[in-house]
Amino acid sequence: MSIVSNLLLITLAGVVLNVLFYKSKTVQKYLSLLLFTALAYFSFTMYGQVGLHFDFPFLIAGQSIGFTITYLNYYFTIMITGITLLLVIFSLKYMEGKEGSTHYYTVLFLKTFGMLGVVLSSDIITFFVFWEIMSWSTFALMSTGGNEAPKSAFKYFVFAITASMILMVGVVLSYSLFGSFDFNIIRSGIPSLTLPMTGFLLTIFITAFAIESAVFPVHSWLPNGYSNTFTTFTAYLSGISTRIGIYGIILFLFGIFGMETVDKLSIIGKINFRYVLGVFAAITMVVPTFTALYQHDAKKLIAWHSIGQGGYMLIGLASGSALGIAGGMLHILNYLTYQVLIVFAIASVQYRTGTTNLNKLGGLIKKMPVSFLALLFGIIGLAGLPPMNVFVSKWFIYRALILEGYPFLAIAAVIGTLGTILSVYKLIHNMFLGQLPERYNDIKEVGFSMQLPMWILMIVVFGLGVFPGFAMGLIAKIQVSLGLAAVPYSLHGVTAEGGQLNMLVVNVLFVSGMFVTWIIYLLGSRRKHVGQYNNYAGGHFLNKDVAYNFNYEFYAAMEHVIDPYRKKIIERTERGIVGLTDAVSEYVRRIYTGMINTYAIYVLTAFVITIILLKELI
Amino acid sequence: MNTVLWIIFLPIILFVIGTFMLGYSRKFIARIERRYGPPIQQVFYDVFKLMSKKTNISHGWMHDIAMLVLLGGTLATLYFVPVPGFSYFAQYGDMLVIMYILLVPALGMALGVGETANPNGSIGISRALMMLAGYDIPFVLTFIGFGMLNHTTSMYDLMMIQQAGGFTSWGLISNPLLGIAALIALQGMIGEKPFEVMVAPHEIATGPMTEMGGKFLGIMMIQHAISLVVELTLYINLFLGGAMNWFEYIIKLFVLFTVLISVNAVFGRFRTDDAVRFMWKIPLPMAVIGILFIIF
Repeated sequence: MSIVSNLLLITLAGVVLNVLFYKSKTVQKYLSLLLFTALAYFSFTMYGQVGLHFDFPFLIAGQSIGFTITYLNYYFTIMITGITLLLVIFSLKYMEGKEGSTHYYTVLFLKTFGMLGVVLSSDIITFFVFWEIMSWSTFALMSTGGNEAPKSAFKYFVFAITASMILMVGVVLSYSLFGSFDFNIIRSGIPSLTLPMTGFLLTIFITAFAIESAVFPVHSWLPNGYSNTFTTFTAYLSGISTRIGIYGIILFLFGIFGMETVDKLSIIGKINFRYVLGVFAAITMVVPTFTALYQHDAKKLIAWHSIGQGGYMLIGLASGSALGIAGGMLHILNYLTYQVLIVFAIASVQYRTGTTNLNKLGGLIKKMPVSFLALLFGIIGLAGLPPMNVFVSKWFIYRALILEGYPFLAIAAVIGTLGTILSVYKLIHNMFLGQLPERYNDIKEVGFSMQLPMWILMIVVFGLGVFPGFAMGLIAKIQVSLGLAAVPYSLHGVTAEGGQLNMLVVNVLFVSGMFVTWIIYLLGSRRKHVGQYNNYAGGHFLNKDVAYNFNYEFYAAMEHVIDPYRKKIIERTERGIVGLTDAVSEYVRRIYTGMINTYAIYVLTAFVITIILLKELI
Repeated sequence: MNTVLWIIFLPIILFVIGTFMLGYSRKFIARIERRYGPPIQQVFYDVFKLMSKKTNISHGWMHDIAMLVLLGGTLATLYFVPVPGFSYFAQYGDMLVIMYILLVPALGMALGVGETANPNGSIGISRALMMLAGYDIPFVLTFIGFGMLNHTTSMYDLMMIQQAGGFTSWGLISNPLLGIAALIALQGMIGEKPFEVMVAPHEIATGPMTEMGGKFLGIMMIQHAISLVVELTLYINLFLGGAMNWFEYIIKLFVLFTVLISVNAVFGRFRTDDAVRFMWKIPLPMAVIGILFIIF
């Protein structure tokens, strides 16, 4: 038994057993915990087996297909299994008594099965099959929980089908070009293609992955799809599921096509394929981040950010330098940790208060300090400020963009970061700060099993901020295995030739600065804590009947500034896309006349063409 | 040994310079308005008075910790900014580190103010963050352009390049569009009029400071003095060729500050959306054109 089959069989067993025990939620719960622990254990031990192959016992079109372990897919596998384990621990308590959760663990296992298959596959046909399983289970995940969920899941379904069809074209095309499904054979065949053909094939694959990772013009399925489902699924979907698209982009851009081939696809001068990708990434960073400002629902706000943060990964990869690619890859891990942390904090608040509406919450810091701390760590991460881990990956990306001479892509990254700071402050302020409504007076902090995953993630978010070298070791190995230059990293940042970043120094200075301030603070007389009604109100007396809070339309002035741009540019673009789709669909629709005679002619024509083609081949 | 002395005394020196500059600005504006104005060391008195207050009101633990993050973050920032004679930490953090570590005190502050549960404070923070989006984009863009031109992101390197090239290689002279754009953004960064809508004493009761008193306000004043010097030093190092010695440094600080507070003295206050719009319509396109000049 190889380790890959262990992983896949465990997840498959999880699916089957959860279906069998659908009546007992307790059995489902602990069974899933056990299986996911085993899964995480096996995936971590995979490190020693890089390079191993595992083939299916049957052939397809005379070729063996199966799985392989590389540094790249090891990186993704541990992310998938690690986060799923934390998610299951969190769900033990969270999912208690939730309606419509009979198949919660079943779809979770199915989704994990699909994702593991995609990242571990060594050939394009396995990749495609598991991609389909993954898309279908994403649809299943999205359509559970809430009345709105099936509708928004259907929207995803349309996009996912499109992506699958595009991917299918890619699979068939590459088989007809290279006569093989194997990634290695395709890789060695790529340089012999003509440039237009290379460009076409690459565009096909990247488009399919861009839909899955919600790059700007094809992102619209994500916000509702992710926010209408269970909050734990929001964490899972936005944390790792969307990033499988980025895995595809890394695999095809660097692993299969290779940087040299991609860089030959130049339009004029510096405007090449990577640059076009970078421009899409830049729009993806800016537009969804500012859309997040408008949201009144915590889950929806964070769902918009999961689109925006994908832009950072993509722009890092598109920068093409060792530093930028390392930044893009590191950002996937960093993003996963803080995004899941944030959604867990939101889920905790929802668990206690029953709402995620930002206009109805407030002041919960007094009641739920651990969740506040979790959200605080998460938002410092999301905003990309020191001392958290994300600052490192964003620093890599900014520096790479500046040194590679992409000032406008760099400024897009900065604009995205500023928009993020604005919207995350709104998130934490409206939930935890400000006035505590009377109805939340007897709320308690969530239990240990929900706190534990948050504490673990907080330690990771902070720890990887001080010691990014732990993750960088693996990233550098991935870069070497993909034939790229490795980033000159050290345990605390980068070495002198890579630039000036030492997170340990930053953190030591920061902590000692806080210590000095603490001494200054102690020099003054003792402070006294007062309640929230002991407050300046211009001479009025405050009590529980006086609403004295500011959280509705938190950034009204900003919305005034952005609105014209939004109306002019974004809405027009969207209308344009809708119009184009309408027009195309109108023509496609005409094919389906509804008359049996026409269909018979179609079938006949297809048959004739197939025979002619087959004759040519033989 | 020398480094240790610098580490201990640099914050104190910058604090002293900062308080004198704040006192100078009060005097300067008073004279423009034909008042006599407070003595130049008034800000010192204020800090000591506030720190020795007997009653200190706090609204919770985040309110307390916010003070530590606020001043602690600023103290961490100032070491990364090279000053004459001391640039030891420049090898551990470049301009990008400075730009983002500068935002940490602001975030700590924002969280503390949020916990005070005073809407005036929250409104002030909301305005301050919107202003941040206004001025930071042009400011960072100028730095990006300058860094791209010299192929480095290290502030120390940028300063050294300007010092080696003499007066004509100063950022403000060689790339005037970037220099002026950054100057306008700097006005927003130090929060002087017309970009002081987050404080606005007449409408939101000094915004973030509403619920701050005693030693809390004292620490905020210390932080304000230090961060003022740090932010002006950023501009001096990037666009005015840095400084060889402390005499030159202090002269440049005061000249630059006088320019900024002269604008402050004659302007009213922009509304938030107008201020952001102004930042995105004047300095931002200037910086973009400046960068286009660099590219072509």
